[in-house]
Amino acid sequence: MLLTGRKLAHGTRVIVVAVVMVWAGRTPAWAQAASDPNPGNLTITGGVDFLNAYLFRGIPQDDTGVITWPYGDLGIALHSGDGIVKSVGVNVGLWNSLHTGAAGSDGPSRKLWYESDFYSTFGLGFGKGASLGVTYTAYTSPNGSFNTVRELSFKFAFDDTRSLGRMASKPYVIVARELDGQADGGAEEGTYLEIGAAPGFPVAGLAVNVPLRAGFSLGDYYEGVSGDERFGFFSVAGIVTVPLSSMPTRVGSWNIHGGVEYVYLGDRNAEILGDTSKVIGSIGIGLSY
Amino acid sequence: MFVIDGVRRSALAVVAAVSVMVVISAPAFAQEAAKDPNPGAMTVTGSLDFLNQYMFRGIRQNSSGIAVWPAIDLGLAAFSGEGGLKSVGINFGTWNSLHTGDTGQDGPSGKLWYESDFYAALGFGFGGGTSFTTTYTAYTSPNNGFTTVKEIMFKLAVDDSSKLGKGAVKPYIAIAQEFDTDVARGQADGGENAGTYLELGIAPGYAAPKAGIAFPIKVGMSLSNYYELAGEDNKFGFFSIAGIATIPLGGTTNFGSWNIHGGVEYQRLGDTTAAFNLDDDGLPKKNQVIGSIGFGFSY
Repeated sequence: MLLTGRKLAHGTRVIVVAVVMVWAGRTPAWAQAASDPNPGNLTITGGVDFLNAYLFRGIPQDDTGVITWPYGDLGIALHSGDGIVKSVGVNVGLWNSLHTGAAGSDGPSRKLWYESDFYSTFGLGFGKGASLGVTYTAYTSPNGSFNTVRELSFKFAFDDTRSLGRMASKPYVIVARELDGQADGGAEEGTYLEIGAAPGFPVAGLAVNVPLRAGFSLGDYYEGVSGDERFGFFSVAGIVTVPLSSMPTRVGSWNIHGGVEYVYLGDRNAEILGDTSKVIGSIGIGLSY
Repeated sequence: MFVIDGVRRSALAVVAAVSVMVVISAPAFAQEAAKDPNPGAMTVTGSLDFLNQYMFRGIRQNSSGIAVWPAIDLGLAAFSGEGGLKSVGINFGTWNSLHTGDTGQDGPSGKLWYESDFYAALGFGFGGGTSFTTTYTAYTSPNNGFTTVKEIMFKLAVDDSSKLGKGAVKPYIAIAQEFDTDVARGQADGGENAGTYLELGIAPGYAAPKAGIAFPIKVGMSLSNYYELAGEDNKFGFFSIAGIATIPLGGTTNFGSWNIHGGVEYQRLGDTTAAFNLDDDGLPKKNQVIGSIGFGFSY
């Protein structure tokens, strides 16, 4: 099965990292760093995930073989203060998708490396948990499966944990504009809208997150034979994260995580997939330092 | 044309080493961080360099425009001790080359991103400054400038600074073997057979309070099929000598240690590498001068 776009993942990864940072709680003393191993302004996050299918914003990429996602992010905290702007940060990172199936080593190219994305984000944090991030992303395909897509996205998020505690839903809105190249392989560059929430809660000593997302076309993002379809997908997932240490160690905070995501597709994406929905299972290891 | 590694990474390593030495004596005003911002066991290093010419082990990779090299490395200090084995480290990283000229944006692909390498290294440190490192590298070309080259390299190095002080030369030897190849595929020389590469080098340097300078010298040779040309494997690949100056941008801050660096490298090429380095008249050119400037950080 394949292909015309790329991942659904960034949101899910961010949730996993956030869960781990909240979750540091108990660990054998031998693994504990005497103090914070990284009190400076740079932060590293990364991980490797394994999945059975890859849909990018509902657009089917591959559901054959095993899909592996290695990724890494470097965050730079430029400013923190008590004014209107509470924090300023920059992130740069790489996200990759390696496929053993039809879009990768078993496909026409015979090459595993289906996708490599570079992104850079400028983020502002405001009061009451509000934040605005502007991200430039270049989605590239080392095995030549799709043409490079360049995109500028704006994300407005609200962390309501402080006001709602365990009932926090952490809503967000993303608007992304393709600058060059297209995820849908259509006639025009598209504009994408995503609305989501990421509630989380502890269950039996584990961190469980239930991210909900819906993706829409604001213009030419889901182009099909009958024109541009507004509804792209709806997704709900359950993600369990187990920290491998309760305190940050000298090599950071590591975790294993896994989950199941149910994706319901719009007509255009369903036609490519050959089904109206897809269940995606994933498991992986993550790091925050 | 084809592919990369030892030239640049050696140069960058020299730059990093010099900048660490220089930073130690940075002026007090620049030392924002009262203490180490990163006392843990992970280290990030990165750099962005601009060059007029990209030569991979003597093999020319572009003939017009400039090359831009963004690189980042994550190091993990897995072990340190006082026995025969002093340290164990693991490094992962990505190194990239973006070309504005004939092998990039102005070339047939119209795409800037000529090369993206992923590598993973396992290093052991012993007494007397001796280290042994095994590195796996996948050299890939996002704009299909060459076919993916996979390589395993072994490097034995001696840091003789503790014995020789400012007279240290830091010699090393590296042997790299290409694998998973076919005719004209998966090889730096685009040849018929997988190659085995040998590099001998030294990296003397001097760090003053406000700047450091290093003079890396190296020779690249084929142990087997690394510099193939018309069915013949030429043993001598290249000789290189460079001068690299590094100026720290303040001391160690909460953002790590930053520097700007620049230098000039001269390469004398062998028959195969000269055949890849044609002049305007289409004749092999045995001499090549490379200028570079960039900035780097270590955290």
